[in-house]
Amino acid sequence: MGKIKSAVCLVLYTLLIAVLCFLCTVSFSYGPDGMYEFTSIIRMTAKDADLGNVYGANDTPIGGGYSVVYYPEGVISAEEYETDLDGFADEADREEYEARYMRYPDEDGALYLEIGEACNDDGAVIESFRTEFSSAVQTLCERVERLQVDGARVEVRDEFTVQVFLPEMMDGEYTAINHFAYTGELSIRYAAGTDEAAAEDIFSMRTNETVADYIQSVSSRAVGESAYVMVRLTDKGRAALAEATAGAAEESGTVYFYVGDTRLVAMSVSETFDQNEIYITSANYTPGIAKATAILFDTAIRGTQNDLSFTVGSAYMHPAQYGGNALTLMYVAFGVCFVGMMVFFFVRYKRLAFAHLYTYLLFLFGMVLCVWAIPFLYLSVETFLAFMLASVLLSFSNAMTFEAARKEYALGKTIVSSVKTGYKKSFWKLFDLHIVVAAIAFLTYAVALTGVQAFAFVLGLAAVFSGLGSLLVNRFTWAIMMAFTKRPGAFCNFKREEYEDE
Amino acid sequence: MNKPARTFKLFPVWIAVSAVILLAGIVLFALLGFNTSAERPESKTVDVSYNVSVALAPDGEETLEEICETAFEQNGLRYDDKTLLDEQSAPVSSTQTGFTPTGAGWLLRYTFAADTDDADLAAAVTAIRTEVEAALGAQTFPAAAEVNVSSHTLVNQSMNEAIWRGAVGLAVGVVVALVYVGLRFGAGAAVTGLTMCVHDALLTLAFFAITRIPVYSFAPLLFAAIAAVVSVALWLVRCAKLRDIAKEPATASLPAGDAVGEACAATDKTVLAISGVLAAVFAVCAACIPVGGALIAAPAIACFALTAYSSMLFAPALHVPVKAAFDRLKAKRRRYAGKTKSEKSRSDKDASAEKISG
Repeated sequence: MGKIKSAVCLVLYTLLIAVLCFLCTVSFSYGPDGMYEFTSIIRMTAKDADLGNVYGANDTPIGGGYSVVYYPEGVISAEEYETDLDGFADEADREEYEARYMRYPDEDGALYLEIGEACNDDGAVIESFRTEFSSAVQTLCERVERLQVDGARVEVRDEFTVQVFLPEMMDGEYTAINHFAYTGELSIRYAAGTDEAAAEDIFSMRTNETVADYIQSVSSRAVGESAYVMVRLTDKGRAALAEATAGAAEESGTVYFYVGDTRLVAMSVSETFDQNEIYITSANYTPGIAKATAILFDTAIRGTQNDLSFTVGSAYMHPAQYGGNALTLMYVAFGVCFVGMMVFFFVRYKRLAFAHLYTYLLFLFGMVLCVWAIPFLYLSVETFLAFMLASVLLSFSNAMTFEAARKEYALGKTIVSSVKTGYKKSFWKLFDLHIVVAAIAFLTYAVALTGVQAFAFVLGLAAVFSGLGSLLVNRFTWAIMMAFTKRPGAFCNFKREEYEDE
Repeated sequence: MNKPARTFKLFPVWIAVSAVILLAGIVLFALLGFNTSAERPESKTVDVSYNVSVALAPDGEETLEEICETAFEQNGLRYDDKTLLDEQSAPVSSTQTGFTPTGAGWLLRYTFAADTDDADLAAAVTAIRTEVEAALGAQTFPAAAEVNVSSHTLVNQSMNEAIWRGAVGLAVGVVVALVYVGLRFGAGAAVTGLTMCVHDALLTLAFFAITRIPVYSFAPLLFAAIAAVVSVALWLVRCAKLRDIAKEPATASLPAGDAVGEACAATDKTVLAISGVLAAVFAVCAACIPVGGALIAAPAIACFALTAYSSMLFAPALHVPVKAAFDRLKAKRRRYAGKTKSEKSRSDKDASAEKISG
């Protein structure tokens, strides 16, 4: 490549890296009194529950998560009990209220159990309540697990309440926390017009039948930013719905979806509905909200009228679980490794290290942009470690090609021939290495869930970038940088082998 | 005897070492499982909620922290974690789609180990309540402030789908990758590679079962995945050199032991360098990120040590008999008993050299 072409390429390449560096890492305030804020891509990138920071002029939190406590019927917190008690002006009412509850598990306990509902007069927990609670916890766990989100937790608190934690990075965490409290059986009701009070269950179930005889499954599908819930009916369910909506052509009606006694969806119908699949959509349905709704409906197919119902307590925002400085310290760790890597390259290859630097920076900013832009990716310690593994792979690959070229140069070849032969000799080795790492990573990603899935995808993506970087970009950078030097051996710190004359 | 040949002869020793570690790991895993205490399977908390509808007293948080920590100290309690949580609008609306901070309340949560004495905790809670009452009386907090102190026990509910699906995904990935290795480097290389991958992944899991290093529940699988990937990568370094040796006319007909020995001698430094660099990078991450690093990056260093052990000692020793068996099979199946490609090129070269000299 000629000097002018190389100079143009190098300038453009440098500008590209500078622009990417600016966009990815620099945040600043501007406008009157710093009213507006330019936020870097790395700051806007989703963070998991372990990491977190704030971004934008309003310090919008990113990372961390939300927790809430679910109280089953018959159980209230000591705080609520005290507040309720303070609200009674009449002493008789107060005493009646006091007689209704027993503190659990002892006089310092954090819960009050309702006598007759959750415990006996002597304070012993009713066995059927214990069983029902255990079943409700299992249902909640199943719902949260089916969200397939990293960092989600379900904990039994004080034996008879449930604490659920969902990470901020997930879409629809509010809806999931709200909807998962609903228990009971899924039912579809229909009313002519919009009179919900007159709505009747469309499935006239016999004693040996359950909702599962009418509704096969409920799932969600995402189309870009919007999404819908798909209710799959059995033939019996389809016939029941067709019969219920038979008059809809004359007078439009409304189909209501209930879980227990709570109506969650209302859908207007203007003609007879005779299909096996019902598609529910709404203006506020994001993929996350549709998924949470579908999970609720699907698990409620197995629900019963006797399921324990939950009341939602106060919600709290959790900051990064690893502490406020974890993110900064992670960047520090990256900085230390980066400096170490560059020191090695500059000491061993002198100015040729710039070729590696440019390749590595392009790889770095490419990865940052991907993690930010790909919706299911996020920044976590796991994804960071996957990136660091791939960084070692890229550095090793570049060092391997440099060493191969060094050996050729030592034999007396020209630098152009050395580079060509060096790349030729190491191409398939590096190709195999990258293909194998990427294959393991992407296949693991396809089957795994949550943290391991994110780790695997980032590793696979970074292995692809590393392969392209070392086999294409690095060679190109080397070529354009070499055009300006008159002593290529010194530029690369390559030396000829010396032979003694006999 | 050169160094690689000595390590090959010690193959029964490497098998014994691995077998002992794996068996001990299996037994301990069956009895105790992994030490997932990092996940806090059980814990106790003291929650101090603060709610006020008027402006927050500037030092409300510090005062409460001081009260709590003094009470804990007096009762000989040490907390593992302290978090300040912002109160959000209650998630009671089925049409609302996001949380919003109330701005009026927050919760100070202290987390304790599961074996913390209940009586000490109850005494600390009582002491905090008394101090808070006194502080409210002395108007340290705004008059409208509501402060509630409670202690709780938490039991985490395990969710295993992510773990078994991760294991299946890893197994599928490794098998497919080694099919590729088989196509590129021969079936013998794939067999050794697969054995090494399974060996390294299991050895990593056994290591964590034996040492009982505290990890998150998903972490052993993550470490097994790292070990499998690194194991395949290191094995590929060996395979590439073995292929070069097989292509080189001077070394093409070397017996399996010598060929593997030569490949090991040429790639030992690379294998050690890669393992060393990976361990150093993860050590830096562990040192810099106190919590996450200590729980994820630091234990992962063990993966690199284990894969280095098996790549340096176990894999080459295993590959000698495997390669010998596959070489024999190849020779037996070869229909055309003529010269091999490398022999042919060597004899062609000799012939042309003779011609020139003649």
